[in-house]
Amino acid sequence: MEGPAKVLIIDDEEVVLDSCTQILKGGDYEIATALEGAAGLALVQSIHPDLVFVDLKMPGISGIEVLQKIHETDPAIVTIVITGYATVASAVEAMKQGAYDFLPKPFTPDEFRLITQRGLDKRRLVLETMALRQEKEMLREHFAAIVSHELKSPLASVQQNLYAFAQETESVLTDSHKARLERMKSSIDTLLKLIHTWLRAYSTDVEGIQQNFKPVSLASVIAQAVESTQPHAIRKDIDITTSIEDGLAPVMGDEGTLVESLVNILGNAVKYSRLGSKVVVKAEAEPGAAVISIADAGVGIAKEDLPFIFEGFHVGKPGPGAEKGSGLGLAITRRIVEAHGGSITAQSELGKGSTFVIRLPTVEAGGRDLPAPAADRPRESQQGGSE
Amino acid sequence: MSPKRKLLVIDDDPDFVDGIKSILVAADYEVDVAYNPKDGFRALQSKIYDLLLLDIMMGRGAEGVMIARKLRKDPKLRDMPVLIITGIREQIAFLFPGGAVHPHFVAVDELVEKPVEPKLLLERVSALLKTAEDRRAQTA
Repeated sequence: MEGPAKVLIIDDEEVVLDSCTQILKGGDYEIATALEGAAGLALVQSIHPDLVFVDLKMPGISGIEVLQKIHETDPAIVTIVITGYATVASAVEAMKQGAYDFLPKPFTPDEFRLITQRGLDKRRLVLETMALRQEKEMLREHFAAIVSHELKSPLASVQQNLYAFAQETESVLTDSHKARLERMKSSIDTLLKLIHTWLRAYSTDVEGIQQNFKPVSLASVIAQAVESTQPHAIRKDIDITTSIEDGLAPVMGDEGTLVESLVNILGNAVKYSRLGSKVVVKAEAEPGAAVISIADAGVGIAKEDLPFIFEGFHVGKPGPGAEKGSGLGLAITRRIVEAHGGSITAQSELGKGSTFVIRLPTVEAGGRDLPAPAADRPRESQQGGSE
Repeated sequence: MSPKRKLLVIDDDPDFVDGIKSILVAADYEVDVAYNPKDGFRALQSKIYDLLLLDIMMGRGAEGVMIARKLRKDPKLRDMPVLIITGIREQIAFLFPGGAVHPHFVAVDELVEKPVEPKLLLERVSALLKTAEDRRAQTA
């Protein structure tokens, strides 16, 4: 709020307008008055007041209706109702319409000054909240750029120099030196990967991937995801078995991000599994949908945590090897699945394991349900994949 | 032995440049460096290079892209191979969602991400030099 606070008073009694104006005179206010609702609403449009007093009982448009209209115009304007007969019912009704407070007639100058002050304090808070919300949104949008430049660039330079250094000093370093150098490189690698994950979570343009949807075979998606998780599974002696129903219809989607989402789930399954246990991946057809389930017999998720796992920055209890996650994998996965018009759910029992189920709408035979952009393209380019 | 191949690096991060320059010098390339697009372009005008290593995100935004566009218009420089180095593969990926991340600014180019492992860097550099050479042999 810059400059004097703008206060608008709408009341059909001229004496009320006059005395209110008199009371606030000398303070840092700009005061406007109106004798009935329509004129008052016109002033709301033209002067954008910070605070509006509205008499509930006026000829013409009712006070309640004036309140509604003000909030439609700008919900950030703070309104206080003046009520001649201070019945609880009318005050409650006004508050329901979004009025911040009510002022029963007759009132003393001090009461009026005080409630004006309180109303303007409220207005300041409302504006501040809005500004903060906007700032938060801006930060979120710029997060990718900020992170990539401010964090990633110096880390990449350090890593580049470690690469060069390792090469140049190859012949003079002892094995212990080299081992430490390797650990440095791998730590920085981990950090860079973490930053990548953040970037993905904050800047993945979900609508963007939808523009490139093509029919995708889930068998291929699952095979790629399993392949990418296999090294970790082998290290932990975990057996990943897959069973895919024959003739599963393709889904309209983006193969890359679908693989990514499955890798996230499979990676978690392996991460939170005990050595030597099993992870089972199944894909089955339902009418109009494909259902992929990934079940592990790992540490499981506590009941109280389960509702939050698909939200960002939720980090589960460490896995058996004290492995921790970034807390973003499942949030990204959910965004990807939802961008495909699908859903993801989880069931889990602490100590017994978890099952994640992804449902994706499938393309009906004959391609009737192909979205328009893909249907416009020649068949060949749909199948061709990226070059 | 054939004369040393001349490479130019244009990148505004001196630390990063140190890290790749020493790898390239160790592999017996002659390496010049420019730390901003202006100096870089001046260097390209004054000397003939066999290959350019170009950072895409310099200064305020993608100033490297502007260099690539200028190269494309210049008949003398159009055929020089370019290794594009970027710290922001994901942002490029968003510009071309779903597609292979390869902008093709000039006839012969390739993209690597920062940091780049010595083996990969040297492989890409020699592959690009060879592709450019083959092209020249064909047109000659």
